[in-house]
Amino acid sequence: MIATGTRPVRIALLGNPNTGKSTLFNRLTGLRQHIANYPGITVEKKVGALELGGVKIELVDLPGTYSLAAASPDERVVMDALGGRAGHMAPDLIVCVVDATNIKRNMLLVSEAAELGIPMVIALNQWDAAKRNGLKIDHELLADRLGVPVVTTVAKRGDGLEDLKKALVHSLADPRQIPRILWPDFIEGARDVVLNGLGQFGVEVTGPEALRMIFDTDSAFADRAGHRDKLPAILRTAREKILERGMNPASAEPVLHYRHLAALLEGVVQGDGMVARTRDSVDALLLNRFWGTLIFFGVMYVVFQSLYAWAGPLMDLIETCTGWAQDQVSPLLEGTPMLQSLVSDGIIAGVGGVVVFLPQILLLFLFIAVLEDTGYLARAAFLMDKLFGWCGLNGKSFVPLLSGYACAIPGVMAARTLEDPKARLTTILMTPFMSCSARLPVYVLLIGAFVEPVHGPIVAGWTLFLMHFVGAAVAMPLAWIMNRCILRITAQPFILEMPDYRVPTFQNVVIRMWERGREFLVRAGTVILAFSVIIWALLYFPRPESVAEEATATFLAANQATPGLAAALEDPESALSQKLAHRVEGAYIEQSYLGQFGKFAQPVFDPAGFDWKITVGVLSSFPAREVIIATMGIIYNLGADVDEGSDDLRSILANEKWHDGPRAGQPVYTLPVVFALMVFFALCMQCGATVAVVAKELSWSWAIGSFVFMTATAWVAAVVIYQIGSRL
Amino acid sequence: MSTLGEIHHDRPLEVVSISSSCGRAGRLAALGFLPGCRVRISRIAPLGDPISIEMEGQEISVRRAEADLIEVKEVA
Repeated sequence: MIATGTRPVRIALLGNPNTGKSTLFNRLTGLRQHIANYPGITVEKKVGALELGGVKIELVDLPGTYSLAAASPDERVVMDALGGRAGHMAPDLIVCVVDATNIKRNMLLVSEAAELGIPMVIALNQWDAAKRNGLKIDHELLADRLGVPVVTTVAKRGDGLEDLKKALVHSLADPRQIPRILWPDFIEGARDVVLNGLGQFGVEVTGPEALRMIFDTDSAFADRAGHRDKLPAILRTAREKILERGMNPASAEPVLHYRHLAALLEGVVQGDGMVARTRDSVDALLLNRFWGTLIFFGVMYVVFQSLYAWAGPLMDLIETCTGWAQDQVSPLLEGTPMLQSLVSDGIIAGVGGVVVFLPQILLLFLFIAVLEDTGYLARAAFLMDKLFGWCGLNGKSFVPLLSGYACAIPGVMAARTLEDPKARLTTILMTPFMSCSARLPVYVLLIGAFVEPVHGPIVAGWTLFLMHFVGAAVAMPLAWIMNRCILRITAQPFILEMPDYRVPTFQNVVIRMWERGREFLVRAGTVILAFSVIIWALLYFPRPESVAEEATATFLAANQATPGLAAALEDPESALSQKLAHRVEGAYIEQSYLGQFGKFAQPVFDPAGFDWKITVGVLSSFPAREVIIATMGIIYNLGADVDEGSDDLRSILANEKWHDGPRAGQPVYTLPVVFALMVFFALCMQCGATVAVVAKELSWSWAIGSFVFMTATAWVAAVVIYQIGSRL
Repeated sequence: MSTLGEIHHDRPLEVVSISSSCGRAGRLAALGFLPGCRVRISRIAPLGDPISIEMEGQEISVRRAEADLIEVKEVA
């Protein structure tokens, strides 16, 4: 009987990747689940609640893994969670999800976990597929041999779920463990070498942890031992004991476990599962050198198109709603202009700026859930791996990076499909370099104003096309350098299982979309909203009245001669009134904290040829690069309602001259400046939402690090382009 | 005898040994690449790498760099 007092019973789901473990988790908990991060690492922790026979249960879905071997803290989490180490609470019961089509390999993990002495229940999942593959499995014999309940399930259809629940209730009353491996004496000897060796220094590790240190080269458990100087010698002595018996310490553990399992599984499985399968003929097409590649690009085109184009109307709708809400609220706060601006331009615009990402996130995760559940994502990764492997990414990086071309937010979140922590980290850091759709207006404005008039539409078109590859071209070599020199996480082998083709379940797809959308709103949304309000305040304050009075006086003096001036100013809709309002707005932004800072910081951007107006534009674009156009509209006294196609804005930029300094009288926007500015936008992480999402996916130090790094890279590139360009 | 990473045909092979002491060798052994087991390269990616390996009814893809850790011989 498992007695837990008042706390819920903890049950952990353990299994290989692709066993249907998460589907089973969704079946058991439904929407009563949430995602948390394990402290200090990037692996997500899925926890759900259910109730069985009046007993409250907390169900934890552990990350899928082939073994308990761990070379990184991310991989160590499964063993730590099972062993109740590093702040984890050990489970009271483990449900081992075993793929019935591949019992032998799946049982390795179960046999490893058995060492931790926790009662188990075995779920033989994908029972239908095993039968289709011609496997005859005697699950009653298996239950006899293992001494624990063995339940056959088909998680995607919900078959066997009631049996599993019954087995759980039964096991809570009568917990059983499976037979543990009996280690040969030389392994026990090696373990004692480590336990005693570390014991001398007062370090206590568990027996299973000591074994992991011996078996895993670069074991992540070595941290736990401390004494980095002494440990290698201890481990060498321990491994020597295994080598003496003619076994390779790096592979001794699986070899011995498989021997132990061979006896347990003797006669349980009949047939080799090698019957001709329909997947083989599908694979012949989808993995074909020509057709497979063609279909891959077709599928990716649809995914990209959905983010780039189909999400558009929904995003427009959200923006319209934001505008509508601003129009509704503004008049109510007419009497208090500061509050009016805070609510309308700070809060409502900020909330709108968060929600506007939802359509792309939901659409991308719809596709990812379908592609992953059907088994296509693994094929896509197989096709593309070679393209990405050289710089530390892998085939699964393609979808996040491609999504980054629409928007980095869903792209960064999509990197969760990468199991390898190093490749996932690299993919997340690279995604913001991809040319997202918010960079497009800057390119269109500047190319339209300066490249097209001089070099014609064909060169302009090519420039626009090539600008989209600047980020990737810079990021991939940087990733290569980072992987070679900086990231010292041991590379894990790229292991890709080709799962059978399956029809995705509606529940899985919906839960995927729902959990990602909710997580973005709750965890990143709050940060993005805070950014939005802060930047609003920097552009609004200090706002002394004298600024407006001065700007008005200058304007009136300049327009003295205009006939009917007084009458025109009476009417707030007249062209002159609008012009005056834009002047005042422009004066306010110049005097705002950010405007002042722009003037102050201009010398930093001077080597890239930026004047103070461009500098303010660049600085105000850090929370969201797409605001550059509106900010430029305000700075150049055209009001915030301009767009990248505006002829007024283009002609003002073309005629803008340096007022003072060594370049006084020369045009500000020369071609070197234009390209320096575009490349700056291509490489800089001017997106508070991306910073927030990277922080949530990795950590704040990675987010700030990549922000600083991208900004520095952008600055260097802009300076190089301007300095070389202006000397040609 | 050669390594699995060097093979370009799809004839049946037998794993002879995994002798490398690096951590990746252990991972491959955990997947079931053990001395004596039968394997066959069932597919090669369009760019030549990775390769898909059929082993005891499962299909697993690895890069040639990893497959090089596995020594194999042809089965008559």
